[in-house]
Amino acid sequence: MFLALREMRHSKLRYALMAAILILVSFLVLFVTGLAKGLSYANASSVVNMPADAFLLSADAEHRLARSELAAPQAERIRELAGEGKSEALGVRMAAVEVDGAGKADAAVLAVDPEGWLAPPVVEGAALAPGDTGKALADAQLKAAGARIGGVLTDTASGRSWEIVGFAQDESLSHTPALFVSPAEWAELARPVRGGAASGGGEPAGSAPYNAIALQGDAQRLEAIAAELPDTALLSKRQVIEAIPGYSAEQGSLSMMIAFLYVISAFVLAVFFYVMTLQKLGQFGILKAIGAGTGYLARSVAGQVLLLAAASLAASLLLIAGFRAVLPASLPFRLDEMTLLATCGLFLATSAAGSLVSIVKVARADALEAIGRTTA
Amino acid sequence: MNRTKAKLVLDGITHAFTDGEKERTILDGLSLEVGEGELVAVTGPSGSGKSTFLSIAGALLSPDGGEVRIDGQPLSGMDAMRLAQLRLGKLGFIFQSANLIPYLKVEEQLLLVARLAGMPRAEAAARSRELLERLGLGGRRKAYPERLSGGEKQRAAIARAWMNGPEVILADEPTASLDAPRGADVMEMLRAEVKARSKAGVVVTHDERVLSFCDRVLVLDAGRLKPA
Ligand SMILES: Nc1ncnc2c1ncn2[C@@H]1O[C@H](COP(=O)(O)OP(=O)(O)OP(=O)(O)O)[C@@H](O)[C@H]1O
Ligand SMILES: [Mg+2]
Repeated sequence: MFLALREMRHSKLRYALMAAILILVSFLVLFVTGLAKGLSYANASSVVNMPADAFLLSADAEHRLARSELAAPQAERIRELAGEGKSEALGVRMAAVEVDGAGKADAAVLAVDPEGWLAPPVVEGAALAPGDTGKALADAQLKAAGARIGGVLTDTASGRSWEIVGFAQDESLSHTPALFVSPAEWAELARPVRGGAASGGGEPAGSAPYNAIALQGDAQRLEAIAAELPDTALLSKRQVIEAIPGYSAEQGSLSMMIAFLYVISAFVLAVFFYVMTLQKLGQFGILKAIGAGTGYLARSVAGQVLLLAAASLAASLLLIAGFRAVLPASLPFRLDEMTLLATCGLFLATSAAGSLVSIVKVARADALEAIGRTTA
Repeated sequence: MNRTKAKLVLDGITHAFTDGEKERTILDGLSLEVGEGELVAVTGPSGSGKSTFLSIAGALLSPDGGEVRIDGQPLSGMDAMRLAQLRLGKLGFIFQSANLIPYLKVEEQLLLVARLAGMPRAEAAARSRELLERLGLGGRRKAYPERLSGGEKQRAAIARAWMNGPEVILADEPTASLDAPRGADVMEMLRAEVKARSKAGVVVTHDERVLSFCDRVLVLDAGRLKPA
């Protein structure tokens, strides 16, 4: 690092300009990554937050929750195969609701057992009970549409009304806030509307078809269950999330941007150091002539690249931290430590890759150049 | 000449360059021995192969045939790493234009080669200070090469060449970019060092004024060295 540091000290402006470009690019990488994660979470947080190892959907649903339908006997059979507490039925239906008979809002109605492991944590108000009908637990985002505890949401399609008993946080599907209802309410919803005679008699709760069964357990056991049921498909959580309409397209374009940013940063670094190296070939020749090994010189170049990349990354991390503090809440932005570490690591790796051409050039620099030449 | 104490030995060196299709033999059975405390001048017309000879003597270029021994050690069969180590420890180079590293201060030019050779920090600092003082650069230790005059640059290069206590010092036209008094200064210093420390020196030059500082003058002609 003796050479690397002294050269940077001597050509401050040159390296500062390069660092400025790297700061901008790495800031953009971090920002878009955070945005992608934020959008991903805003899109599918309800599924992301489910502590399920896998989902069983009907085989013809093409991984789509909304298209899948598992009839009551099938659901019952899965429950038996999976064992006590290892499966949870999930009902999904997109709805438009009227808030207190006034404004309208979109909601994703999710039917889960309020006492099972799919039930979301309640952050405000009370939880549902399994037998509750006419009641719902809403995602806090619905507050923006006027929802409040004790308020009433009316489903425009079925005409059913739900009193809000409480709120959950970070629960959405397809960018739509979730509305949790009990299995009893799900059965009511599924019942064909018969002249307004809603209650009394009829099928018992839980007999309505569900969209999916969430499962817990090791992979082998889950596959054994799926093998017993030919009409079903066993999907990972990731597969289910990726099949949410719009999810892949949204993430795809953001991933594309991120990938390009990595390529750009590697390329900018590569070109900058390559040009610098070309200018300095004579010097490398001299250094080799007086006894510096290729390894030493290569380490010096790589050291400069990594130092520059790491310093720029540190600066853009500070920028991101400042940016986060002033970010409006409506902008979905999420950057957990794991993602942050992975992003920084990848950025440093692409930077190192960008220095390779220069290192090859340095390795080829000829010590002979030093003798019999008039200029360095 | 003391044959048993030869620091630099070239024995039957041949070297040819292929220029397009035809092969041109530049060095043809060249032999030379330089003993302790001896400073040898090598002259010859342009293109006679002086720089090629110096590159071979300096372990920068391996000859097609013949053997080079530096401080008794034969170079044949050494890999690039060991050759670099040898250049670092046993050889000192002074090039035509000083060839200092532009972003290192004068003192750091010396510290770099000391570091490369693994010299302890304190020893390196003391030695560089002493060398620069002796070469009249004591006040210019913290200057960048761009701020030095031609003579100062060349003296800094000499100091760098002496830094690791080489057995053999090789100079290619060290006075070419200097005026007469400066050139004489540089040669006087080279001569004094070679004598004082019993080292071997070879100076390739076109400059008539250099010859008087040397013990022997040889002419490179038809691929061999002959007394002038
Ligand atoms: N890498 C090379 N490939 C082909 N020919 C070369 C190469 N290096 C040198 N030569 C040729 O070898 C001959 C000797 O070159 P060299 O540089 O040793 O001459 P020189 O005596 O140092 O000349 P000058 O006094 O002009 O510096 C020249 O004709 C040169 O063109
Ligand atoms: Mg020459």
